[in-house]
Amino acid sequence: MAGYNLEGIEAAPLKDDVDIVIPTIRSLDFLEQWRPFLQHYHLIIVQDGDPSIKIKVPEGYDYELYNRNDINRILGPRANCISYKDGGCRCFGFMVSKKKYIYTIDDDCFVAKDPSGKEINVIAQHIKNLETPSTPHYFNTLYDPFREGTDFVRGYPFSLREGVQTAISHGLWLNIPDYDAPTQLVKPRERNTRYVDAVMTIPKGVLYPMCGMNLAFNRELVGPAMYFGLMGEGQPISRYDDMWAGWAAKVVCDQLGFGVKTGMPYLWHSKASNPFVNLKKEHKGLHWQEDMVPFFQNLRLSKESDTAAKCYMEISKMTKEKLTKVDPYFEKLADAMVTWIEAWEELNPPVKNEASEELNPPVKKTQSDGEDVKAKG
Amino acid sequence: MSLAEINKNEVDIVIGALNADLTQFLTSWGPFFSGFHLIVVKDPELKEELNIPEGFDVDVYSKTDMEKVVGASNSTMFSGYSCRYFGYLVSKKKYIVSIDDDCVPAKDPKGFLVDAVTQHVINLENPATPLFFNTLYDPYCEGADFVRGYPFSLRSGVPCAASCGLWLNLADLDAPTQALKTEKRNTAYVDAVMTVPAKAMLPISGINIAFNRELVGPALVPALRLAGEGKVRWETLEDVWCGMCLKHISDHLGYGVKTGLPYVWRNERGDAVESLRKKWEGMKLMEKSVPFFDSLKLPETALKVEDCVIELAKAVKEQLGSDDPAFTQAADAMVKWVQLWNSVNSSA
Repeated sequence: MAGYNLEGIEAAPLKDDVDIVIPTIRSLDFLEQWRPFLQHYHLIIVQDGDPSIKIKVPEGYDYELYNRNDINRILGPRANCISYKDGGCRCFGFMVSKKKYIYTIDDDCFVAKDPSGKEINVIAQHIKNLETPSTPHYFNTLYDPFREGTDFVRGYPFSLREGVQTAISHGLWLNIPDYDAPTQLVKPRERNTRYVDAVMTIPKGVLYPMCGMNLAFNRELVGPAMYFGLMGEGQPISRYDDMWAGWAAKVVCDQLGFGVKTGMPYLWHSKASNPFVNLKKEHKGLHWQEDMVPFFQNLRLSKESDTAAKCYMEISKMTKEKLTKVDPYFEKLADAMVTWIEAWEELNPPVKNEASEELNPPVKKTQSDGEDVKAKG
Repeated sequence: MSLAEINKNEVDIVIGALNADLTQFLTSWGPFFSGFHLIVVKDPELKEELNIPEGFDVDVYSKTDMEKVVGASNSTMFSGYSCRYFGYLVSKKKYIVSIDDDCVPAKDPKGFLVDAVTQHVINLENPATPLFFNTLYDPYCEGADFVRGYPFSLRSGVPCAASCGLWLNLADLDAPTQALKTEKRNTAYVDAVMTVPAKAMLPISGINIAFNRELVGPALVPALRLAGEGKVRWETLEDVWCGMCLKHISDHLGYGVKTGLPYVWRNERGDAVESLRKKWEGMKLMEKSVPFFDSLKLPETALKVEDCVIELAKAVKEQLGSDDPAFTQAADAMVKWVQLWNSVNSSA
């Protein structure tokens, strides 16, 4: 990826700052192909499904593995907030990590090549995205202005050129695109072959569908907001885990003045899940998202919510208040969100000294900030 | 959508001539301008005769023509880069495509010349999606779609008001930025069209732009003139101001604005360091404009584009007029523009 000088990161890969969280129910063979890029890093494997199955981790990887028994042991009664038989269980890995950055990837994702034929180092690009500022207050038509070879365009206000801290880096996928079941059924042969050579900031106040397949974030800034909900077995809905986390996390980022980027890096998504199974899993979501999206778009958080955890508690209250009428599931979800924060704070007690300023930075207001998150759409 | 489906009769290509010799420009665009009607508007301050090669279906407007249509006192509104707006005024077509006269077709990564005109029209003909961001960008293009989690109620999109293209080689950077890195050239070809979300502000460049004239014509306002406005883009902000008005009005009326493809190749011209020597008031004006547009709410009753422009002009005068005379002049120009638009287009 021209213009992103990743050699620096490749030479000193920030191993102590990154955990890679992988949910799996089947196999971790995919990690063999990822060795050149991921082997330096510590893995947190969240084993979903039957805990008696032994998941083999390829040699040479440093990891910790948690199955359902471990989750139950560590969280006790609070374990019921972690999904079972669903990729949403991965957020348990976010909670037990102690690192600054999380990268999460699905076990059917492989190394992609850029148009020049070079293999894409996803983790280096994600780290670069997280370590360079975002520009949510004004859209730059040349996309990422901090990339070598590009810049802010004429007319871009100088007062906004410093940017803000980046909290989330949302990567994309070549080959099997992340479509919902109806689209998969109508277009079973469609493959994403378009390599869009850009990273861009999603503007403040704008929501997007966050996919958990190739995702990195600053755990210290937004970790508590990355709850992947109640999905899978025993729940009326699946395949909305990352969506729920993405909408909530974007609202939190907008509130706290952090940025969310999308675009590169790409990886190769190899497995198309069964669209009929997907339809069964997500069909309630297809209806509910018509309510969930306006809910998040219209959320206004109070000024007192100046940390990710506080924001998330407020969101849980509003979820109960406004979405229960859509389905009683949301009342359960709201309670689970509270449980999640309680569990998060127990495993990640706030540090009581000036270091906590770093972990929980005060809300940064810029000149173009209005009040709280405005209603959109 | 393919070339065969573009209705060339719906399009005017409007070129503002700041250079007298348009031979190289028109020859290089020849294959892509072929079959389209062209409107060439000569900068009224340009003294030399225009040199236009044969073979184009073109109407040329000069200062005399302008004065016949809008009167001598109003023709100053169309000097310099703003001359093209006269072309927007007199056009009768649905779509306008406008490219600076120092740009030629770019090559895509496969080495093929980019048909910017067709790409712009395709952008304008397909819906925009400003209410929710699609992570695979344009969902209507071949090989792409809406991703999981995109609400179905939003998948029919809204009408596209404008298509903002980009530039290879000399990008549209401001003078301080280009002067700092005189050798910097844009070589990244980003293969995407996307809708700029509603309520998000952006700097719209006039170098390579197209819009739906029937939908938003009056919103393309030739209004903000810098005191030392020059004949290079580094010394103007007219398009940036126009773009802020256009985006705000589009958001208000529920239309979309796209950005991305097509690229054009922008030739070397001017000297950024030289432009920097001039007093750079543009920066100050931009800083004042941003919070204004950020907090501005047009009244619900403004349902027509013309009404939106008038309301916007009123707000500019009230809230920005005391900050700088340039804003008062811009507000007056916007009102005058709507008057001219209505009088020229009602007699059509």
